[in-house]
Amino acid sequence: MPDVRSRLTPGRACGLLGLLTLVLAWLTLEGRLDLVNALSALFAPASDDINQLMAHYSWWPRLSVALLAGGGLGLAGVLMQQVLRNPLAAPTTLGVASGANLALLVTTLMAPGLLALGREWVALLGGGLAMALVFLLAWRRGLAPIVVVLAGLVVNLYFGALGTLLLLFNQEALKGLMIWGAGSLAQNNWDGVMFLGPRLALSAGLALLLLKPLAVLELDDANARSLGVSLKHLRLASLALAVFVTACVVSVVGVIGFIGLAAPAIVRLLGARRLGPRLLWSALFGALLLAATDLLLQRFSNALPTLIPTGATTAALGAPLLLWLIPRLKLGGNQPPAAHVNPTPRRSTPGRWAACLAVGLLVATVIALGVGQGVDGWHWRVPFTRDSMIEWRLPRMLAAGGAGIMLALAGTLIQRMTGNPMASPEVLGISGGTAIALIGALFLLPGASQMTLIGIGTLGALVTMGILIALNQRSGFLPERLLLSGVAITSLFDAVRSFVLAGGDPRGQQIIAWLSGSTYYVDLPAALIVASLAILLAWGTRPFSRWLDLLPLGDPTASALGVNVLRSRLLLLGLVALLTASATLVVGPLSFVGLLAPHMARLMGLTRARDHLLGAVLMGALLMVTADWLGRQMLFPAEVPAGLVASLLGGAYFMWGLRRL
Amino acid sequence: MVRYALRTWFLVGGILLSLATPSIAQAESSRIVTLDWTIAETLLAFGIVPQGVTQIDAYHDWVGTPALPAAVAEIGLRAQPNLELLASLDPAHILITPMFAALEPRLSRVASVTSIGIYASGDTPWPRMLTATRELARLIDRPEAAERLIETTNMHLTQLRQRLPEETPPLLVVQFMDARHVRVFGTGSLYHAVLTRLGLDNAWKASTNHWGFSLVGLEALATLDARLVVVEPLPVGVENQLNENGLWQHLGAVRQQRVTYLPPVWSFGALPSAQRFARLLVEGLTQDQRYSLKRDCRGTDADA
Repeated sequence: MPDVRSRLTPGRACGLLGLLTLVLAWLTLEGRLDLVNALSALFAPASDDINQLMAHYSWWPRLSVALLAGGGLGLAGVLMQQVLRNPLAAPTTLGVASGANLALLVTTLMAPGLLALGREWVALLGGGLAMALVFLLAWRRGLAPIVVVLAGLVVNLYFGALGTLLLLFNQEALKGLMIWGAGSLAQNNWDGVMFLGPRLALSAGLALLLLKPLAVLELDDANARSLGVSLKHLRLASLALAVFVTACVVSVVGVIGFIGLAAPAIVRLLGARRLGPRLLWSALFGALLLAATDLLLQRFSNALPTLIPTGATTAALGAPLLLWLIPRLKLGGNQPPAAHVNPTPRRSTPGRWAACLAVGLLVATVIALGVGQGVDGWHWRVPFTRDSMIEWRLPRMLAAGGAGIMLALAGTLIQRMTGNPMASPEVLGISGGTAIALIGALFLLPGASQMTLIGIGTLGALVTMGILIALNQRSGFLPERLLLSGVAITSLFDAVRSFVLAGGDPRGQQIIAWLSGSTYYVDLPAALIVASLAILLAWGTRPFSRWLDLLPLGDPTASALGVNVLRSRLLLLGLVALLTASATLVVGPLSFVGLLAPHMARLMGLTRARDHLLGAVLMGALLMVTADWLGRQMLFPAEVPAGLVASLLGGAYFMWGLRRL
Repeated sequence: MVRYALRTWFLVGGILLSLATPSIAQAESSRIVTLDWTIAETLLAFGIVPQGVTQIDAYHDWVGTPALPAAVAEIGLRAQPNLELLASLDPAHILITPMFAALEPRLSRVASVTSIGIYASGDTPWPRMLTATRELARLIDRPEAAERLIETTNMHLTQLRQRLPEETPPLLVVQFMDARHVRVFGTGSLYHAVLTRLGLDNAWKASTNHWGFSLVGLEALATLDARLVVVEPLPVGVENQLNENGLWQHLGAVRQQRVTYLPPVWSFGALPSAQRFARLLVEGLTQDQRYSLKRDCRGTDADA
């Protein structure tokens, strides 16, 4: 975009946005206060004029907090993106927000007394611990950028799953935290400003001190080290600073993730290249962006019966912008390539592992069908009594297994296609797209039948796939671009989700239950369809195994060996979408299985595509069947959704594996 | 003296009421399971003990009265009750609301399922509440129970209406979500319906959602001249935060000490919750303001 860049510098963009903010500010005040009164209300409100009091205790603090929070997030974003050399690193992708969120949920339920000491300290502790966990996981690799992002995403997902579990059982008690989680800037006094102001000023000072050594990080590791910079300590210090800023912001106004991602990216796109200007302009741009969005929302949300949380809105507006940005970002070219390590050698006897998995799956199946709890405690039911087995257990076992197989297949395909172990159907955003369509259906068509929901979900998956293809066609489905588009769609789903939860609608409970991935709604005919579809599709992927062996070798090698790269990618992508959509309709969008099963199969040394597929399929089925059974027994008679159990088990394993990566 | 007379009236009214409604001791068990707390409280008011109810602990936190007897089986989460357990209880009927429509296909494999809804759109739920009450009673072959409950409720509300102080200002009924956000109940809510029946004016005129409330920041209340009615429980820490909340401290109602705190009442309930809300509200409004500000309501939870 050279023409845009030449006209629109970061400074001019900030000027325009500032002008917009002023106009919006004037519009929200219009009719209540004139300029003189509004300014006098800032310092000394007349105690008998409710308009002045509102300006003093609500309007001014809200504007100030929006500016501070946006600025802080912009600053934190630049620091993180600089340290991780990843234009998509952001305060929320490193687990800080979800850590803070989880800490507040747990404290509210277990030790509410601690909240009296100050919510911000609890949030700070949670965010800090989450980041420490991410550091711990990435320490062995010297905090290498890719490993840090990977660890951050996994910790994020894991904490999100734990939070969902708490929420599922305590919806009424935690409804206030849903508003916070969706990011509300509402203020009733100057405490938030007094909290953020000094801390952000201090952080900005520290960031200036780090400016020069950080600029060296533009070089790759070896060059930077030769200049005498201790990379580990520098990265640690900068990330810690960014986390501190994020946790402060999050503890006051909740999760507002997108600003920290967008402000640095936009500023860089507008031509700010060096670190100093990028820090300055993104802080300013972030501040104005958040303030303008918030003012716009204040202006329009008065007419609505529900609160429009600013954080969720920025995320929802941000997703399309991100999709627009992705083709325009320079990715990969200016980054040193990360060392690609294949942790395990190929085993000579893949058959033995496959047999072990098959036996494990058989045992899990027998347990899932035979063992359960009733009013009088544990019992073993003789197989094939009508009411317990066929009606209640068989469908769930089949559906869980089928969904596990489909997710594992989709995960294997996409991991091999992209040569990226962190790829999974969840990351591709198809689950998210399906989920958005279904949330809409649950709200707009109350009492819609299961068939209608399935139709709408499929439509959502197809639309998402269409968007993915349209966005990636020109780049020839480059792996990184594809994943990034997926992440953007997933972030839109996140926004819709927190939007729904913040509204406090009692129907939220049903949606949370479904989002957590449950085999609950499946009856026998549906389960048989799911299971046979899964087996059919598993069989159907076998002819593709040659492509899957060749594609990871890189495009030139693959085409040289006679693979039509574009066409095979397109076909595989379609297959992944189909698999993901079918699985999502059964068990919801939030499972780790698509990430986990292929990864575990690979750790067993099943590296050839055909073995890899078989191992992943068996592992996926085993994981989901076990997770479904555990979920039904853990907190009997309450049921924990299978997808949630899978992500709790799988997430822990994955973090452990990551540590040794 | 006036207060003493009022207390006596309450006592007499209470005795009359307890004669009119069957107590739990006389209640009979049934083979009806319900996923919905509002249906559960209505059944109990009919003198029918459901066989199973979801999330019993949470029911006692949020609905409170009428209490569920210990014999009622816990059947899991509201959104996903345990099907296998349900099947082993072998109920005759399962009662749900339209909110649980997605569960119907599975539930109907256990027993016949009937959906009874109260909260549907923005308009006042009172007529629908009466219809639902009658429908529920017809379903359990006790049409007279519905008429009795409706009659008692009407009588109760009429009595309470007479006890109200003459010049009651418009009211704002709110529930705190956190220190900065409240649910304000307007048209379509249980609280609004009760206010109307008591001849009170609801100061919240703005539109409401499906469930009859708006979720707003505290600043939305600032320009309204009304007495505040805060329905508990307050989220943890909110009480302390409100002391430091400049906007809250400067709200007209707070400065003039026109705030009444009420013990928990199920905001999405039916006639029993309506009765309870009406009683607590009138008690709150007639009592000394200083008492209501001091808020010993925590202590009165148990007897409520």
